[in-house]
Amino acid sequence: MKDSTDNLSSISSLLSRLFSDGSLAVVVTLIAAPRNVGAKMIIEEKRSHHGSLADPALDLAVILQAAVFLASKEETRTFYGREFAPELSEFSEAQFLFELIQPEQRVVICGAGHVGASLAKLAALLGYCATLIDDRKKFVRREDFPETNIELVKAESWSEAVRAAVGNGRGVSVAIVTRGHSEDEQCLRAVLTLSELPGHGSDLDNLPAGTPDYVGLIGSKRRTRIVLERLREAGVSAEQLANVHAPIGLDIGAVTPEEVALAIIAEIVAVRRGGSGHSLSSR
Amino acid sequence: MGTLPPADLYRQVAEANNRGERVVVATVARTRGSTPQQRGAKMLFFEGGEAAGTVGGGCVEAEVWAEAREALRSGQSALHHFSLTAEEASEEGMVCGGTMDIFLDVWKPAI
Repeated sequence: MKDSTDNLSSISSLLSRLFSDGSLAVVVTLIAAPRNVGAKMIIEEKRSHHGSLADPALDLAVILQAAVFLASKEETRTFYGREFAPELSEFSEAQFLFELIQPEQRVVICGAGHVGASLAKLAALLGYCATLIDDRKKFVRREDFPETNIELVKAESWSEAVRAAVGNGRGVSVAIVTRGHSEDEQCLRAVLTLSELPGHGSDLDNLPAGTPDYVGLIGSKRRTRIVLERLREAGVSAEQLANVHAPIGLDIGAVTPEEVALAIIAEIVAVRRGGSGHSLSSR
Repeated sequence: MGTLPPADLYRQVAEANNRGERVVVATVARTRGSTPQQRGAKMLFFEGGEAAGTVGGGCVEAEVWAEAREALRSGQSALHHFSLTAEEASEEGMVCGGTMDIFLDVWKPAI
């Protein structure tokens, strides 16, 4: 019998690598069974897998279930064997803990006016790491943002500051809420052309540049349409533009800057968790 | 003790294992009723007696501590069931009265 703890040290080093790469993966642990309790498998997003629960048919069923779990957007779920592998009667009462490994969740906020500042504080409260960018030093003073999970950036160039903050884009939501349309456009252009820069993102982490999980642009319907049209003319693909949430935020009838910030963070949460944004009472 | 970022958690596990020590990783696997922590909450227990993270404040933590100490000694990973009655909860002045299944996983140093 294979000792299930044999490969634990390689599993912890693999987990460290997955976190530092910002990868998406599922860790499956056998938590209740007649034997091999504590055995683990790690299934990466691209289906490569590591470890074993010491039964080939079970391993295969777990790999398939990991894909279902990944699509559910849940972070932790415990299944009985019978729930996903009814044909394996030996494991029907066994329990399996499925856990999501995901990149640190960050919100990059372009513009530290009333909306941006409120958004940074709400994002920090919700457990995100926030990066608040502005080209005006007095809008990104530390004494106004004591929260340790708010990073403050005084931008010399909007494009460079935004690119540096977005990095490889994994786990990143970008809210573009600057004081002006021209600044908004610079920021959006920088985000959408991220993947075209040769070598971008390869300096630190050897990852190909990606696109953020969420990009939102503030403004009226008419105004944001004009910005998107200008970017289309500049060669940004229609597919990329279609992924931009413009105007940004859920419709909660927001009036004040703080309410607008709430509408934005609510949309970011809904995209991350797969929520509809509807009232629970209307379902 | 607040929530431990997962990357930190596994780094601490690896460091302890590299020092030749066992670590117990407690994970909330299931909850029923009103419980102080979400599924997936994690807490680490080290051989030296330190801990990190949380699986639910005063309501169940003392019991989890005791089981974790036993797991560190025995080296056996197992799923444990913890329940908290309304009386216990009110004695603690806390609002929790559900049950939690918590997996205590013993991570051992490589041999």
